[in-house]
Amino acid sequence: MARALAILALLLLGWTAPLNAAPEGTMTWGLHVTLASRWLDPAETEALITPFMVLYAIHDALVKPMPAGPNTPSLAESWSVSKDGLTYEFVLRKLATFHNGDPVSADDVKFSFDRYKGAAAKLLKDKVREVQVVDARRVRFHLKEPWPDFMTFYGTSASGAAWIVPRKYVEKVGDDGFKKAPVGAGPYRVVSFTPGVELVMEAFDGYWRKTPSVKRLVFRSIPEEATRAAALKNGEVDIVYLLSGPIAEDVRRTPSLQLVPSQPPAVFWLEFLDQWDPKSPWHDRRVRLAASLAIDRQAVNQAETLGFSRPTGSIIPRAFEYALSFDPPPYDPRRAKQLLVEAGYPNGFDAGDFYPFPPYTSMGEAVAGYLQALGIRTRIQTMERATFLTAWREKKFKGLVMGITGAAGNAATRLEAYVTNGGIYAYGVVPEVEDLFQRQAREQDRARRETLLHQIQKILHERVMHAPIYELAFIWGVGPRVEESGADLIKGHAYSAPYEDLRLRKQ
Amino acid sequence: MKGYILRRLGYSLVSLFLLSVTIFLFVRVTGDPAVLLVEPGASKDDLEMIRQQFGLDQPLPVQYGSFITSLLRGDFGQSFYYRTPVLELYLSRLPHSLLLAGAAMVFSLVVGIPTGIIAAVRVNRWWDSVGKIFALLGLSMPSFWVGLLMILFFSVYLGWLPSSGSGTLLHLVMPAIALGWVFAAAHMRLTRSSMLEVLGSEYVKLARLKGLPEALVISKHAFKNALIPVLTLAGINLVIMVNVAVVVETVFAWPGVGRLLYEGIAFRDFPVVQATVLLGGAMIVIVNLLVDILYAVIDPRIRY
Amino acid sequence: MNDSRSATLTLAWRLAAFRTEGFPVIPTAIIVTVALVAIFADALAPYNPELGTLGDRFRPPAWQAGGSEKYLLGTDHLGRDVLSRLIFGARVSMIVGFTAVIVAGFIGTVLGIISGYLGRWVDQVIMRLTDTWLALPALTFAIFLAAIVGPSVNNIIIILAAVYWTRYARVIRGEVLSVKERDFVRLAVVAGCSKWTIMRRHILPNVVNSAIVLGTLQLGVVIITEAALSFLGVGVPPPQPAWGLMLADGKKGLMAGYWWLTVLPGSCIMLMVLSANLLGDWLRVKFDPQLRQL
Repeated sequence: MARALAILALLLLGWTAPLNAAPEGTMTWGLHVTLASRWLDPAETEALITPFMVLYAIHDALVKPMPAGPNTPSLAESWSVSKDGLTYEFVLRKLATFHNGDPVSADDVKFSFDRYKGAAAKLLKDKVREVQVVDARRVRFHLKEPWPDFMTFYGTSASGAAWIVPRKYVEKVGDDGFKKAPVGAGPYRVVSFTPGVELVMEAFDGYWRKTPSVKRLVFRSIPEEATRAAALKNGEVDIVYLLSGPIAEDVRRTPSLQLVPSQPPAVFWLEFLDQWDPKSPWHDRRVRLAASLAIDRQAVNQAETLGFSRPTGSIIPRAFEYALSFDPPPYDPRRAKQLLVEAGYPNGFDAGDFYPFPPYTSMGEAVAGYLQALGIRTRIQTMERATFLTAWREKKFKGLVMGITGAAGNAATRLEAYVTNGGIYAYGVVPEVEDLFQRQAREQDRARRETLLHQIQKILHERVMHAPIYELAFIWGVGPRVEESGADLIKGHAYSAPYEDLRLRKQ
Repeated sequence: MKGYILRRLGYSLVSLFLLSVTIFLFVRVTGDPAVLLVEPGASKDDLEMIRQQFGLDQPLPVQYGSFITSLLRGDFGQSFYYRTPVLELYLSRLPHSLLLAGAAMVFSLVVGIPTGIIAAVRVNRWWDSVGKIFALLGLSMPSFWVGLLMILFFSVYLGWLPSSGSGTLLHLVMPAIALGWVFAAAHMRLTRSSMLEVLGSEYVKLARLKGLPEALVISKHAFKNALIPVLTLAGINLVIMVNVAVVVETVFAWPGVGRLLYEGIAFRDFPVVQATVLLGGAMIVIVNLLVDILYAVIDPRIRY
Repeated sequence: MNDSRSATLTLAWRLAAFRTEGFPVIPTAIIVTVALVAIFADALAPYNPELGTLGDRFRPPAWQAGGSEKYLLGTDHLGRDVLSRLIFGARVSMIVGFTAVIVAGFIGTVLGIISGYLGRWVDQVIMRLTDTWLALPALTFAIFLAAIVGPSVNNIIIILAAVYWTRYARVIRGEVLSVKERDFVRLAVVAGCSKWTIMRRHILPNVVNSAIVLGTLQLGVVIITEAALSFLGVGVPPPQPAWGLMLADGKKGLMAGYWWLTVLPGSCIMLMVLSANLLGDWLRVKFDPQLRQL
């Protein structure tokens, strides 16, 4: 019995020992983006997934996407909704503290929400009547009217409103001071930051969830893809983001390196801008379908992302709430040709300009090549991203756009931007879709709302309003020292996370 | 003389004013920064909010007015992308740029001056050709290609040098070569013509007549005098290097002002672009001014 | 009258004397070859340079393992024939290079002559404009122009010309300042020639040499800038083949061992630019060994 107990104790010790071990080693990233100071402050989180790369390390949220699910309680140990859907209550964790030792209190939650000015700030503040501090560990959000999407916006990466900053400290140092020396409640604290260049962080041993295993994290901006890959091969960095084509192939061929895809909610599709013009060939559904069938999605996928992306038949990512998934249209050049003949274009036609989303020019060229093979002639127009997005939004394009977006949200938010009257990129709207969209926005019942949203997606699919291509795989290169890179632990998150779960190999 | 300098100073200010208007308009007509700070599918509200925060909803003359008035107070504004004061960003990058430009200059002079002398003195046709072609090669290859080839060879294949970033002297080697090589040919050309001129001058002829050995004539008498215009050009080029290092800085992830500017343009970060272009322009204008004044002092016949 | 004829004669004499010492035979041959290839691209290229099949991507050159006679110099990331793209690329690059140089040279020379000869406020306006222009780094300026006018071969030419005319303006103006003090110009003024006649007949022939030298040297700069613009994503739009664009596209294959995608277009650019520079250097020495500003 005593022996058994001893073995049990040993086992337990053996289990817990690695968890309690002091953090060791350094993990270094070669980033594709330029590190911005604003990412250090959750209040400035824009509608982009990128800031969360930094937020997950330095800060923590009441509720955030975690391996366990999209609304996993973090600084809050639990949350609940009142029956009428008007009140959301969060109970804070006892042990949670900021890097400076202050406990995370309900007051900080209210303060963080009030000063929040990032993505969806206006929406959230329009819907929330009051944030009530019940006691030090209890906070209530009172809504003006029931809003089924509250947790979609508050508790996911659609906004940074639930990420908590220490009130006392922020009031002491001010907004600019906070960005220079941020203090958060996350697993890592900032050691040094050079804007645009490098961010160095060190494990915070007071983190409530667990003590991180890796002592230091270093983020370095390396904008040129070939240089990033070289730094990885050379052992200067352990993880690099955004590899593609032959560079990714080379990493895959290198025995010591690993190629890891993550799946952010980003879909590529071909947008037929001229379909609303009755005189355009694209007005004919058969022509649109022909174009869609002429694209060999799997071959493009192979060339661009080594087959890691997932061809799709919908512009809504499969992982989104309320998404209705469709199989990718098959590659069928013969049927495509036949459809084109039926539509009255046996010799094809001149379709004008083709705008691929920058910088995905080579993919655009491949897609345009398939259309050309069908007889649909286009001219590729490369642009800088700023010019492209401005022109698209101001509706100055004619012809075809190959678009992509990775905006967080659900099927409804994604549909809004591209197919409704309120959508900034919608060149035309089907009245029926608009009507259904308005109805779902008022619908409180989840199941009924889903039916409405599915109906919209069916209409889009049947009308072939777009030619969806694939859900983009975001490809990383991972070096030999890394045991756990944190890829795809959190569903739909493009970057390493949660950082406290990362591990280096024992030397 | 004084009047001349004052007039030139006035012209420089006019140039800088024109530059400020040009860049202010350029950066604004080519794209909306708000669309770059959010995912393409983000909502209208979010876009509007960003525009309000940046004051982009104001009419252009108002925006320009507030830009100039804060500029006169020495305030370059807050970066849209970084959300920190632009001047702070610029000053944190400038030392890296100067370091890179300095190292690149050393390399370009080490290549340019000897090849230029050899070309002028014509000691040996073969060496002349080799030197000339080597100096011209830097000008003949796109620097991003030179940079990537070097990374491939020295970092990935040999493992001698770090591929990117900054920090140690080793980090400096490849970017300095990639940048400096481009300028080697200019320095070679000027060294050559300047040497030829000096070698044809009276006092060098005199030195030769005195029977001094040719090597001594070249090294002592000619070289010293021929060096002056070369160093003047080097001074101008140093400033130009700071401003044209964009491609090299991008390839090697070197944290200089060139990359700051390029990324500023890519993100339509108006304050960053305005500040870097104006400060860079000011540097060029000032150096040109100094050179003109210098020439006016040396050669009183010049009056513009 | 006599002066201008003598100036023309001098030029002709100088052209005749080209065959004297040190004429860069090889560089000239290279430039001529490239020009011929550009002209006869349609007859020379085995395939359409803009079409390929993804199945045939990254085929190595014929002599390498895995290569075939079908694609002598291999294929690119979209399965297009590299040889055909190089041949047509010569055309695009030559058109961009020569046209941009000629347009920039024309604008710069005209403004330089006007500025230098007329002096006064005209000179002031043109020179302040030139100063402002020069204070904007060439690449920055080019990126902005690209964003404004959009991508196309014509626009790239416009951009490059708009960026590089200033160098001619400055140099030519300097030349004019000294030429206009010469006796034959003063005589023409006394003889009652109009300003335009003097600029056209007497000044232009005397500065055209410098413009030619500068143009030859600028050809290289323009070709390199075109490549840099492609690297930054605002160059000649694909799928058109241009050497700079091929190089920028091919850089991704460098590490994976697809050397032909960068080494071939890179070498073409290098040979062309090197030749232009060697020829330009030689011309410079021929025309004016004292020339400092070039």
